[in-house]
Amino acid sequence: MDYRAQIGIRFITRRKGSLIAASLAVAIAILVVQVNSVIFQGLYDAIVRDQINYRFGHVYITRQEDYITKSDFVLVNWLERIPYVQAAAPRLDSVAQINSTVNGQLIKDYQVPIIGVDPVLDKEASTIFTTVGQGEFVSFRNSIVLGALVARDLGNPQIGDTVKLKFKDRYGNDVLKRFTIVGITQTAGSVGLDNSAIINIDTLRDVIERPHESGAILVRLNDPSKAEDVKQLFLSAFPSNSDKFKAQTIEESAETTLRGFRSGIALINLVGYFGMMSSAFAVVTIQMMQVTSKTREIGIMRAIGSKRKDILLVFIFQGMVIGAIGAGLGTVLGIGYTVYAKETHMTFQGSLPLEVHYNWASIIQTDIMAFVLAVIASIYPAYKATKLEPVEAMRYA
Amino acid sequence: MPDYVLEVQNLDKIYGEGETAFSALKNLSFTVKRGEFILIVGSSGSGKSTLLNMIGLLDKPTRGTVIIDGVNTSVLNDNQLSSFRNSKLGFIFQFSNLLSDLTVLENVVLPRKIQGTMSGAMEEGKNLLKTVGLEDQMNKFANKISGGQAQRVAITRALINKPAIVLADEPTGNLDSVSAETTIQLLKSLNRKLHQTFIVVTHDRPQFGDVDKVITIKDGRIVEGELEVA
Ligand SMILES: Nc1ncnc2c1ncn2[C@@H]1O[C@H](COP(=O)(O)OP(=O)(O)O)[C@@H](O)[C@H]1O
Ligand SMILES: [Mg+2]
Repeated sequence: MDYRAQIGIRFITRRKGSLIAASLAVAIAILVVQVNSVIFQGLYDAIVRDQINYRFGHVYITRQEDYITKSDFVLVNWLERIPYVQAAAPRLDSVAQINSTVNGQLIKDYQVPIIGVDPVLDKEASTIFTTVGQGEFVSFRNSIVLGALVARDLGNPQIGDTVKLKFKDRYGNDVLKRFTIVGITQTAGSVGLDNSAIINIDTLRDVIERPHESGAILVRLNDPSKAEDVKQLFLSAFPSNSDKFKAQTIEESAETTLRGFRSGIALINLVGYFGMMSSAFAVVTIQMMQVTSKTREIGIMRAIGSKRKDILLVFIFQGMVIGAIGAGLGTVLGIGYTVYAKETHMTFQGSLPLEVHYNWASIIQTDIMAFVLAVIASIYPAYKATKLEPVEAMRYA
Repeated sequence: MPDYVLEVQNLDKIYGEGETAFSALKNLSFTVKRGEFILIVGSSGSGKSTLLNMIGLLDKPTRGTVIIDGVNTSVLNDNQLSSFRNSKLGFIFQFSNLLSDLTVLENVVLPRKIQGTMSGAMEEGKNLLKTVGLEDQMNKFANKISGGQAQRVAITRALINKPAIVLADEPTGNLDSVSAETTIQLLKSLNRKLHQTFIVVTHDRPQFGDVDKVITIKDGRIVEGELEVA
């Protein structure tokens, strides 16, 4: 082995205290980055996942500022002929005043978002039906699924109870309609389904006087990476000048939700980088102490023929040992935490299950960065060591 | 081959500047022939270590030249000085000379590693350790042996590159009298057997018995009258 590497490794590995302190500093910085990534990237991915599953699909088709008047049957059929498309389903959104009578008593009267779904198609294109915790998904024309919070606010009505909804149709007239509760959602996480109610899309079309119209078509893909292709295929088949269709990939449709979150993640990453910087300072400090305590050794080495460059390399190798052990330890801890998060199905605030991935690229990138930082942090102390004159160094007996 | 292994010419060393300037060596000149055993004596603070550091190329003189093996060392740059120390000089200091994170044998062969001439070095190192009676200690870490043993290891290390001169600054200053005697006899016998040039700073003039030359320093000058020549 290169003698400078050998001496560097011996210097640091035979100083257990310094080695442990320095590599722990590096490892903890990596752990911080890893934990941040598991929680915040996991949260971000969870939100994307829920936005796809419940709200937008992989491709979300709307019409600029208007309802889709072309038959949803035609559109869904056209879309489902594309090999990448798993399923497509229409959606129609509205709002309604809701009240419920429990034991003949009026409980509440307030406005809730209403999601109109096609009971058959929606089960293929979306997993919104899986959020039903009690009872079942909407089926017949006057069935309704209440969001958990809506149900709570209404005084916990039971399956089979009825609720009365007051809509405004497209002309501004009030329309009253009575629904039978068939299901109540369990907490569905990030997209606010718990605040909404789900009904049959055809019923909604009727009450708001928009027969055959849809608010959107959500398209689920079997290959999510083909979202852009599907979007372009659709837009060229239904050119925008006549239909004024708008097709968005999930990145585009969920942009408003995700934008704020992304800057949050950027901020959190900054915290991670600050952690890295502090670990680098810890390495600088420990390396300076190391150089001071090895002054005499440096003098001996210079006396018997080591050049300044050789002394530099000794402490750079020392930094590499710190970086390597720190990165190794940090990776083990970080992956340990990731496994823990995945195995325990870690959730955010008890409701939103995090989408935990082993992001090897990011793990390796963090490791390399931590290692390189440990080496960079060693440059100044190593340079200081080279400045020791042999005769000065020898004086410290 | 040059006549002299060492020529010191008009050496001055001034520490500090201006008001605080202190002249530690004043116009020193002398020569050493190959194979000689030289003692440098003088009271504490007289400039012995300063002189040895100049000869050892560990520090630069203010004026004057040090010629080792025919090479005027004042023209060498920092890297050349390092290489020169490595190949032409051996060092034995008063206090712990060794790298405590290396084993005895690793310490001994370190000059060869630095030189990049490791082939055969391990064998030579072991043989040298055998001559100084330390073959059973060679795999111990250097901080796990006694002071007397450490000095013998340092002597071995000083010899491994077959230097032109071995410099020793009070090599027995830190040893008990028995270890000191052993060390002195070892140095003298190596001088006889290997014709190795030694320059030794010491306070124990009498212990060394017959040597080739004794240089006495007083206040940074050679005391001419007391220069003994064998
Ligand atoms: N780096 C230095 N700066 C200033 N003065 C020094 C330095 N090194 C040695 N001296 C002075 O030079 C003189 C000679 O010192 P030294 O060579 O160590 O003496 P010796 O080895 O004979 O005891 C002493 O007075 C000492 O204080
Ligand atoms: Mg001295």
